[in-house]
Amino acid sequence: MKGTYLGEFEEVVLLAVAILAGDAYGASITNEIEQQMGRSVNLGAVHAALHRLEEKGLLSSRLGGATAERGGRSKRFFTVTMAGTKALDNIREIRNRMWSAIPKPA
Amino acid sequence: MNAPIQPPKWATRLLHWFCASHLVNDLEGDLLELFVQRVRTQGPREARRRYVRDVLSLMRPFALREKPGKYPKPASTQPAMIRNYLKIAFRNLVKHKMFSFINVLGLSAGMTACFLIALYVHFELTYDVFNQKAARIYRVAADVKTSSETLHYAISPWAMASNMQNDFPEVEAFARVQKETTLFRKGDLKFMEENAVLADSALFRVFDLKLLKGNPQTALAAPLSLVLTETSARKYFGESDPMGQTLLLGTESEPSMVTGVMQDPPVNSQIKGDIFVSMSTYTAHHDKNIEREWGSFGATAFVLLKSGADPAALERKFPAFMQRHAGKLMAEQQMQIGLVLEPLRDIYLHSSRTTEESGSINNVYIFSAVAFFVMLIACINFVNLTTARSVERAREVGVRKAVGAAKSALARQFIAESILISVIAFFLSILISAALIPGFNMLAGKAISKGMVHEIPFVACQFGVALLTGLLAGIYPAFVLSSFEPVKVLKGRFTTSLKGIMLRKGLVTVQFAISITIIIATIVMYAQLDFMRSYGLGFSKDQTLVVEAGPGRERDAFEATIQNYAGVRSAAASSEVPGSWNPQAYSKLENKNGEMQAGNMDVYRIDFDFTQQYGLQLLAGRAFSKQFHTDSTQSLMINEAAAKALGYRSPEEAIGKKFDQWGRQGTIIGVVKDFHFKSLHETVKPLTFRIIDFWNGQLLSVKIDGKNVKQTLSAIESQWKTMHPDKPFTYYFLDELYDRQYRADERFEALFLNFAALAIFISCLGLLGLASYSTVQRTKEIGVRKVMGASAASIVGLLSRDFLQLVGIAFVVAAPLAWFAMHRWLDGFAYKTDIRASFFIAAALLSTFVALATISFQSIRAALMNPVKSLRSE
Repeated sequence: MKGTYLGEFEEVVLLAVAILAGDAYGASITNEIEQQMGRSVNLGAVHAALHRLEEKGLLSSRLGGATAERGGRSKRFFTVTMAGTKALDNIREIRNRMWSAIPKPA
Repeated sequence: MNAPIQPPKWATRLLHWFCASHLVNDLEGDLLELFVQRVRTQGPREARRRYVRDVLSLMRPFALREKPGKYPKPASTQPAMIRNYLKIAFRNLVKHKMFSFINVLGLSAGMTACFLIALYVHFELTYDVFNQKAARIYRVAADVKTSSETLHYAISPWAMASNMQNDFPEVEAFARVQKETTLFRKGDLKFMEENAVLADSALFRVFDLKLLKGNPQTALAAPLSLVLTETSARKYFGESDPMGQTLLLGTESEPSMVTGVMQDPPVNSQIKGDIFVSMSTYTAHHDKNIEREWGSFGATAFVLLKSGADPAALERKFPAFMQRHAGKLMAEQQMQIGLVLEPLRDIYLHSSRTTEESGSINNVYIFSAVAFFVMLIACINFVNLTTARSVERAREVGVRKAVGAAKSALARQFIAESILISVIAFFLSILISAALIPGFNMLAGKAISKGMVHEIPFVACQFGVALLTGLLAGIYPAFVLSSFEPVKVLKGRFTTSLKGIMLRKGLVTVQFAISITIIIATIVMYAQLDFMRSYGLGFSKDQTLVVEAGPGRERDAFEATIQNYAGVRSAAASSEVPGSWNPQAYSKLENKNGEMQAGNMDVYRIDFDFTQQYGLQLLAGRAFSKQFHTDSTQSLMINEAAAKALGYRSPEEAIGKKFDQWGRQGTIIGVVKDFHFKSLHETVKPLTFRIIDFWNGQLLSVKIDGKNVKQTLSAIESQWKTMHPDKPFTYYFLDELYDRQYRADERFEALFLNFAALAIFISCLGLLGLASYSTVQRTKEIGVRKVMGASAASIVGLLSRDFLQLVGIAFVVAAPLAWFAMHRWLDGFAYKTDIRASFFIAAALLSTFVALATISFQSIRAALMNPVKSLRSE
C-alpha cells in the first residue's frame, strides 16, 4: 500500500515530532533534527515531509499560540496520531528483528 | 539598542508571492523564529543565508497549492457577472451624459481618422498585388547616359521587346502599354478618350485582367482591334453586344473592331484604361519601322519571367544585349543605354522614375504616423477623463470594497466600462467613416474605397482594434480606481496623489505637443503652396486659354478667324505650354570650348508669336521672326540655363554658335531669360526652342480679355464647332494647367489640414474634461476666495494659468520638432519659402486661444458661481 511506506527522512521527522511531544512545529522540529543528526536541514524539506505525513494520516495538526519571536505569527503544532505510533512501532519491530538476525561474530 | 537584525526583505516578498495564502502565516513564523535563533547562534550572515535557502527550499508543490475553499468560488467569466458588469457600465454612461459624450466623441473621432488612413495605406500598399504572377513581373526601364547627365526613364526603346523575347529564354511573355489620348467615334457619338491604351496581345497573359468576352490570346493581336472595359462598352453600345462592332479610331477615322470586353481594371492597378487598342495598330500599321528603332523611346514594357528565372542574372546579360543590337547607335550618339528590371510591386511606391501614376512611400509613412498620433491623442483623452473622474467614483469603490468586492472584480468592472465606451465609439466611427468615404476619396484624388459594404474585413479589424483600445486605455484607470483603500475613501480624507496629477498633466502636454506640431506643419505647407502660386514664373499665365486645335493648316485657319474676335488679344501655336509635358531631343550644341556637346535637352516647338505672347524676356540675340525664312529650319533659341550648361559666361557669347538637333542644323539666334516651364519642385533646366513643323504645334494659346470671358469662350467654341463638326472642343486655362502640377501637394495640405483640426479637437476634449475636473476639485477654494473678495476675472485667470502652462511646455517641445520635420519636407522643393518665426507665433496663438476658449467653458462658470452655494454644503 502506497500510503504506509515511510521514507528515511519521513521517519526522522515523525520521530522528531514524537520526541517533542506537544511542542512540535516547523521551527522546533527543524532544530530537533539538526541537533539529533548533526547536520543542517532545510525548512522546506521538513515542511514537505510534514505535509506528506499528514496526508498519510500519521500526523495531525492544529494552529496554536504565537510568540513575539515569530513576529506574532501563529504556530502549527503537530502530534503523532494512533496510526503514526503504530507505524513507528512497526518499523522498530522490523529493525529489531533484522538486528537480531545478524549472525554474531565468533 | 540597535535595530533588530532583519531577514532579507526580498526573500520574504518572494515567499508571499508564491506561497498559498493559508500556509504563508505559519511558514513565515517558522522562518522568523529560526532566523532569530540563528542570528544568536551562528551570526547574522549565516542566518540570512539560511533564511534565503529555506525560502527557496519551500518552493514545492504543497506550498504553492491553494486550499480549496469552503464555498464554491464564482468563476470570473460567469455570464451573470458579465451581464452585471455591462449593466453597471451602461448605467454609469447614462448617468454622466456629458462625460460619456466627450469620451465617446473623442474616441470615435480618433478611430474614424485611423480607419480612413488605414484604408488609404492599405490601398497604397496593395497596388498591383491583385496580379497573381506579380512576383515574376518586372518593368524594363532604361537609363540613358550622355556626356553631361544620366536620364532615368520608365519607358524603353521600341526595338527592345521583340529582341528580348528572341534572345532570352527566361522571358515568358512581354507586354507593352502606352497611354495615348485618342479620338473615338461611333455615329454621332465622339469622345476624346484620355484613357485609351495601346497594349500588346500578351497583356492578358502577364496581368490578371479578366476578359469577359473574346479570346484573351488573340483579342489584341491584329491591328485595329479594340478591347473595351465594361464601363466604356456601356458608354458606346448601351446594352447591346459590342463584340464584332466597329468604332472609328483617331483623326483618320479608321474602322476598328471590338474583339473583347474586359472587367474594369482594379483601381489600384498600374495598368488602367477605358479602351485598349492593339499595339500592332501602331507598330504594324501606323509606324511600321518603329520596332527597329533603338533610339526611339516609348511605351512602358513589362516582362513576365518564367518561374525560377533569376532576375539579377538576367539583368547582368543586358549590357551585352544592348551592345549587340544597339552598339553602333550608342557609339554614334555618344550615349549609353542601360536596362534595369524593376519588380512590379515596388514600382508604384518605390520607383523614382516619372510615370503617370506614382505613389510615395514617404506619404504612406507620414500618414501612418499621423494615424498613430491621432489615435494616441484619443487614447490619452480616454485615460485622462476616466482617471480624472476617480474622485467622484472613489466612494462607490469604497462601498463596493466594504461589502466584499475583490480588487480584481472591480478592475474588471472598470475595464468593462472602458470597453463598452470604445465599442460604442467604434460603431459611431463606422457610421462617420461610411459617410466620409466619398469625401475622403475626393480629397485623396483616388477611388480608395467603394463604400463601407466593401470593407467588411477592415471593419472586423477595426473592431479588434477598438476592443484592444478599450482594454489598454482601461487598464490604468481600472488599476488606479480599484486600489483605493476603502477606509480612507469612506472617511472622506481623499486626496488625489501628486503622481496622478503629474501624469494627467504630462498626457495633456503630449497631446498638445502633437497637435501644435501638426498645426505648424499645416501652416508651413500652406505658406509653401502660396509661395509657389505667387512666385514670379517668368512668363504670363493669366487669362490664357489653351485649345487643342490640331496641327498645320487647320489650326492656322482657326487661329486667323478667332483673332478677329473682340475678346481675343493674341494667339500663338506651340506643341508645348508651361505645365504640359514636353519631349526631350538628342541635341548637339557648340560649347565654350568649340566642341559639340551632346545630350538630351528639353524641347519647345513654338511659332513666331510664342515668345511675345508669353512675355518671355530676351537676354541676347533675337526671337524667331517671319522675316528670316531660314528660322524655321536653321535657327534655335535657348534659355539662360542652357547657355550656362554650355559654359558661356554671358548669354551674348552663345549667339551664333552651331547646333544639331532632330534633323536641323544651324545657329543659335537668341537666349531667353529662364522661366519656370516645370513646377517649382525642380530648378529650371536647359531648354531649346525651335519652330513648329506642319505636323505638330497642336496647342493654340489664346490670350483673352479679362472682361466677358464667358462670351469670348462660347464664341470660340461655336467657331470650332462650325469648322470641325467631327471633333470635340477641348480647352483649358493655362493657370489651371500649370497649377495642376501642385495638385498632389494641395491634396497633401488638405489632408493635413483636416487631421490638424481633428487632433486639436480631440486634444481640446481632453482639456475640457481635465478642466471640469479640476474646477470641481477647487469649488470650495473658489468659494472662499470669492468671499474674501476675489474678482471673477482673477479666478478665471487662476484656473486658466495651470493649463496655459501646459500648452506653453507643449509648444516648447513641438516647435523644434516641427521645424526639423518641415525643413526636411521643404527640401523636396527647389524654390521654397522660409520657415518664418511668424508661423510658430501663429501656431502658439492659435493653440493658446483654442485652449483658453475650452477652459473658459468651465472656469467662467466656476468663477460666477455663488459662493454661498459652494460653501453651504460643509
